[in-house]
Amino acid sequence: MPYVYAFLFISVMGALYALLYYCNYKTPVPKGCEDLKTECDGCKVLSCGNNPAQNKIEGDI
Amino acid sequence: MTDLFTLAISAILINNIILSKFFGMCPFLGVSRKTSSAIGMGAAVLFVIVGASCITYGLHYLVLVPLGIEYMQLITFILVIASFVQLTEIIIKKFSPVLYKSLGIYLPLITTNCAVLFVAKDNITQGFNISEMLTYSFSVPLGFMLVLYIFSAIRERLDSSKVPASWVGNPIALVVAGLMAIAFTGFAGLV
Repeated sequence: MPYVYAFLFISVMGALYALLYYCNYKTPVPKGCEDLKTECDGCKVLSCGNNPAQNKIEGDI
Repeated sequence: MTDLFTLAISAILINNIILSKFFGMCPFLGVSRKTSSAIGMGAAVLFVIVGASCITYGLHYLVLVPLGIEYMQLITFILVIASFVQLTEIIIKKFSPVLYKSLGIYLPLITTNCAVLFVAKDNITQGFNISEMLTYSFSVPLGFMLVLYIFSAIRERLDSSKVPASWVGNPIALVVAGLMAIAFTGFAGLV
């Protein structure tokens, strides 16, 4: 039975995250904040969306 | 009360999350070029750590333990932190464009900040009660903010200093971080 609870619980949590992600995606960005950019210079985590290397990789492809 | 004060001082200065545990190094190096960015990032981390810690603490003792599924702790905490960041971003977008302009930019960075997950897990591992959990959850990000601010102030000075070409950028920043870590060991006997 605990396995069923675990499955149900994680499904609810996953659904909650998906819902919040969708709501955030659909929420319009306030005026004047459309093209805000991070001042992150980038660490070694190249997979992070804020890493400047992401732009270079997209540009290369 | 003394115990809570000791816990706070320990979390801020002695066992600082960046300089003694090496968590949150990504924003520490990435968002420390300017003091204004450092304060914004520190405030956003403070908000998310306190909020996420309260939720994860409640979920652990009210849901995971009664259902006997404590082994789901890690994945639950990750989902809670990610969801909390999304929720925070929605609220800020809707109700405070000014705050979004200063903080919203840092919110996606916080999801990948392992310091948030560390505090959520450490609250459970250490067996804290509610007042200790709240004290710890406030103190750790305060220590994070303090170190980030000092480090960014030093980096601003470094930008106008003459540094050998091979040391410019992250190399000299890492040397500074190492010296700061050594300096902070001086607080070891404080409490």
